[in-house]
Amino acid sequence: MTEEVDPSTQEDLAEILRTASANETPVSVVGGGTHRDIGNARPTDLTITTKALSGIIDWEPDDLTVVVAAGTPVAELEAELAARGQSAVLPEASGGATVGGVVATATSGYRRLRYGPTRDRMLEVRVVTGDGRIVKGGGRVVKNVSGYDLPRLFTGSFGALGVITSMCLKLWPLTEATATVAVEDPGRTSILYRPLAVLSTPVATQVFLAGTSAEVESGVKALGGKARDGLHFPPPPEGGMLWSGRVRPRHLDEMIGRFSPDTSYVAQRGVGEVTFAADDENEVTQLREWAEKSGGSVVRLQGSSEIDPWGVPPADLQLQRQIVSAFDPARILEPGRLPGGI
Amino acid sequence: MSVIDDLVAVLDKERVSADPFALYLYSRDAGATSGSATVVVFPRTTQEVVDVVSVARRHEIPIVARGAGTGLAAGAVPMEQGIVVSTKLMDRITEVDEIDRTAWVGPGVINLDLSVATEPYGLHFAPDPSSQSVCTVGGNVATNSGGPHCLAEGSTVSHILAVEVVLSSGEVVVLGSEAPDPVGLDTRGVMVGSEGTLGFVTRVLVRLLPNAPDVRTMLLAFDSVEAAAATVSGVIAAGVVPAALEMMDQRMAIAVENWLHAGLPTDAAALLLAEVLGESSAVDAEAAVIRRVGEECGASIKVASTSAERDILWKGRKSAFGAVAQAAPDYYLHDTVVPRTRLVETMSKVYEIGDRYNLVMMNVFHAGDGNLHPLIAYDSSDPEESRRVHAAAKEMVELCVDQGGALSGEHGIGLEKRDLMPMLFTREDLDAQARLKECFDPIDLFNPAKVLPAGSRCFDLGGGKPIPAGVWV
Repeated sequence: MTEEVDPSTQEDLAEILRTASANETPVSVVGGGTHRDIGNARPTDLTITTKALSGIIDWEPDDLTVVVAAGTPVAELEAELAARGQSAVLPEASGGATVGGVVATATSGYRRLRYGPTRDRMLEVRVVTGDGRIVKGGGRVVKNVSGYDLPRLFTGSFGALGVITSMCLKLWPLTEATATVAVEDPGRTSILYRPLAVLSTPVATQVFLAGTSAEVESGVKALGGKARDGLHFPPPPEGGMLWSGRVRPRHLDEMIGRFSPDTSYVAQRGVGEVTFAADDENEVTQLREWAEKSGGSVVRLQGSSEIDPWGVPPADLQLQRQIVSAFDPARILEPGRLPGGI
Repeated sequence: MSVIDDLVAVLDKERVSADPFALYLYSRDAGATSGSATVVVFPRTTQEVVDVVSVARRHEIPIVARGAGTGLAAGAVPMEQGIVVSTKLMDRITEVDEIDRTAWVGPGVINLDLSVATEPYGLHFAPDPSSQSVCTVGGNVATNSGGPHCLAEGSTVSHILAVEVVLSSGEVVVLGSEAPDPVGLDTRGVMVGSEGTLGFVTRVLVRLLPNAPDVRTMLLAFDSVEAAAATVSGVIAAGVVPAALEMMDQRMAIAVENWLHAGLPTDAAALLLAEVLGESSAVDAEAAVIRRVGEECGASIKVASTSAERDILWKGRKSAFGAVAQAAPDYYLHDTVVPRTRLVETMSKVYEIGDRYNLVMMNVFHAGDGNLHPLIAYDSSDPEESRRVHAAAKEMVELCVDQGGALSGEHGIGLEKRDLMPMLFTREDLDAQARLKECFDPIDLFNPAKVLPAGSRCFDLGGGKPIPAGVWV
């Protein structure tokens, strides 16, 4: 039976991690538990949750920044921000995911074509390292170069460097109008300056527009398609196992062309990401080999598999190993979860 | 064999210089600090950088990377000794991909040249520091440079997809990738803004943005600096993030107008240069918001109606520092950041400090980001005045930190601000950063003594190099 602890302060968390490090107790770090299938998360004797670290700590609406505790549900944060016309542009259909969770797993939403990935929201991070040191990186200003970029390093660190306790995020004003337009020819979208997203599924390609009313109207007219008010993002692909294909944007159609017929997918044009369902591991392996050959990857998002969840480890694996050791010397946090089995 | 002999062996005579004039030039940057270069080299290829790193390792002499030397924080200044490795000849744009909207470029490519070269594709590189006609992409990567248009698009790190790096072991590794979300830790993100202390960047994959179909550039004139600062806060609070929002005070406007004759209103206490980019319907709406907020703060407003008018306004902004020479032979430029909500209060206190030390201060800065650049015009040959300049500068940094700000917005910590780092970071914070440096560069070959104060690494017995006597920080 795994023991679960939910510290409510950085100091308590530090104490727990110091003890775990001294005893070399492997630890899982869990927010909403919605991204556990990414990477090889092994069962551990101790689970630290961020449940008791929740809520907005400091919000400066006029500065477009917010400091939020790691365990805050994304949906809760976005609802509060939206009430004053702002957004952290985190993943849209986030389920029970927490802000700390989407940051630790570097999960981005569909609006990244316009606003960049979740990583670009990170201004400051506060963490407790594997050996119980309380560390802060970055700052609560929108532009900063004061030391190494720990906020970005911790984005996508999968709990392996430390437990994120809070972060300061850059916000964006929500736009006056939005629209979803179905188009026949994805090529037509190149006439737009900067759409919010262009998503293709086996059924349709949809363009997502945001801006002033006049701007959205003129975008709809230019595309000449059927438009609906609001953003109607497609549901995630259907299937037991979900994968994320990541290729150069110019290779996206080729990747889709390699799917077996009836594959359910959502492809982000201009970004080069396609989330797809595939239960046949041989098929995934073939797709992965092709993607990796041209500098991409295929990563498991959901389900369990015999094949490696990441594929080929990064070129700087040795350096990554050293960085993990520097933050978690006893290597207790999410051991083996990162690519290359770090 | 001497270091120089070894370097000549791996490069050639023409690209290794120990000429006293070259050493003098390459021992300083655009700031006030000077150091001492042992030799300057100009490699062309990644392999040549690997060879130079190998020579440096053998002779235990540091490597200091250098782009155009436009930094202000002594990031490119060699300390007691060092091989200054110029990226000047690594200046090729090797591949522009119109569909992916990316380009592989050498670190020595000049920032503006990149946007000029990608113009035929309707693309540009978003970071546009005021020094963009001379500063290099490698230097932008090193300091995570900003620029007026980073307000809406983010600093350099958001526009770098991958970097090829030579590590102190001599290993060459690509961090990041052409595809999104490469697996593993974001070591690319750590390299950007690391001020040449972690490795030597030999190639850069930049993200390019489409050129906007339309633009509105406006000049707002105010009776007080406070009114201009309030307009900045008001525009952001109204939910508009303009492409750029720059402020210039009266003294700076007079200096610029004297030589540029751009028609800047020199009787106004402060000017704001605001720009919005996008579809015509969007820029009209956003320009209207800026106009409304500006008028509420008492602004008189002029909109650039031709591209020539727009160009001259930007020329005034981006070449403002050059215009300072009219006031005094030298200037000391600060680079700090505050939350935008503190802009009004911070600005009035910055002027108070300048007055108290009896200094000539001018301001031209990235107001929309809260990135201040108080500039003090002075004569560095006057030791008493220099002392006052430094005392005032220190107070200004303290003020910005007190306001919840940071030490640097775009020039970095370098040598100039490294001993101020404890104002922002605890011992454990700095120790974590020092450990990160050790992972990349365990032998402290790259740009030692920069960014982190001596003794940052806890349990560090005598490590960290002191600042040598005679170096003016």
